[in-house]
Amino acid sequence: MDSLLATYVLNAIFAAIPAVGFAMVFNVPRNALVYCAIGGAVGYTTRFVLMDLNIPIELATFLASTLVGVIALYGSRKYIVPRPVYTIASIIPLLPGTYAFTAIINLLQMNAQGVSPELITLFIDNGLKAVIILSGIGFGLAIPSLVFMRYNRPII
Amino acid sequence: MNNITYEEQTKITRAIIKAAVLMLEFGAESKLIEDTAQRLGRALGVDSVEVSLIPSAIVLSTLNNNQTQSVTTTRRAHHKPINMSIVCDVQKMCIDVEREKKDVDYVFNTIKEIQPNHYNRWLVVFMVGLSCASFSYLYGADLNGFFITFLAASVAMYVRHVLAKKQFVLIISFGITAFVATLIASTSQIFELSSTPNIVMTSSVILLAPGFPFVNSVLDAVKGYLSMGWGRWMQALLLSVATSIGIILAFALLSMRGW
Repeated sequence: MDSLLATYVLNAIFAAIPAVGFAMVFNVPRNALVYCAIGGAVGYTTRFVLMDLNIPIELATFLASTLVGVIALYGSRKYIVPRPVYTIASIIPLLPGTYAFTAIINLLQMNAQGVSPELITLFIDNGLKAVIILSGIGFGLAIPSLVFMRYNRPII
Repeated sequence: MNNITYEEQTKITRAIIKAAVLMLEFGAESKLIEDTAQRLGRALGVDSVEVSLIPSAIVLSTLNNNQTQSVTTTRRAHHKPINMSIVCDVQKMCIDVEREKKDVDYVFNTIKEIQPNHYNRWLVVFMVGLSCASFSYLYGADLNGFFITFLAASVAMYVRHVLAKKQFVLIISFGITAFVATLIASTSQIFELSSTPNIVMTSSVILLAPGFPFVNSVLDAVKGYLSMGWGRWMQALLLSVATSIGIILAFALLSMRGW
């Protein structure tokens, strides 16, 4: 049990570092960096726990980014900062960058070496994963504000 | 209060579109741009503001005097590297105008004074190197792999900085950066420094993953800005292709096949 907890804590720390690092590339204001770190750790740990419970990666990513989106919605009202500033940095550790690059490289390999069933399998595997995880992240982040958008309008 | 002359309304329109163009250029979400433009308009005293967004330009109309007086203007937006501090500053200015009833001149002056909040270059290089190394840890690399990733990503980030400073097109700088990162990371395979060379090579180019445009494109699309969604998707895809071409070139040079 202890070692499991240690893994979670270590992973949370190593997920917070990229969130802060990439937030710096996007020039996020200094006082929002802390929230990026917290968001990154929360998002990644949530996905990690959910995947340990045998939930597939796509659904786990969707749920994790929904959680980040909900937390960010309440945070942004307290400290007046537009939400994307720290939500996007927070979900950086969840991004399917490796899948996306592998898919495009497979596509270019098919052109160079000729099409083979293995390459097609790899391409579809990686490409699908990348697109589905990415839409999961986007929908997850958007859901809290979509709910509020409906409330702004009269129902009848 | 509704007796704004045509000249005054033109000035207000120019102020609003200036703020909106800044937000679009530095990578804000479409909903945020439209909301900010409309709030600014209301605070500065026009009846309503209508915004039409396409990826490369903004068309903005303000209506006043019972919608009988309308001013429309268009601005081209040149996309620049994402900079969230500017987006935050514009948003803060909008809230200030709303709460403290500032006038148009305040908007012009504030926009003129907005400066990007640049972090120290070496700090960013170090942090991005560490970030990519953290990714390699999360994907399960060994200790040697961790350090090679750190080195490759730091050098790549430095290269990206230099190219950005010389104002190269984003596509070119992404391709060259990916080439450099892959060359350094591939030492782990050629000299067998690490037992997990694939992870090292994938995580050292992750600093080029265009996560921001991709996520923004999904956010835009689900909130009803379909053409912006497609535009940003295309932009992100182009950057990914440029990165992949850089990786492939490095592979070809070292005569390796695939990851």
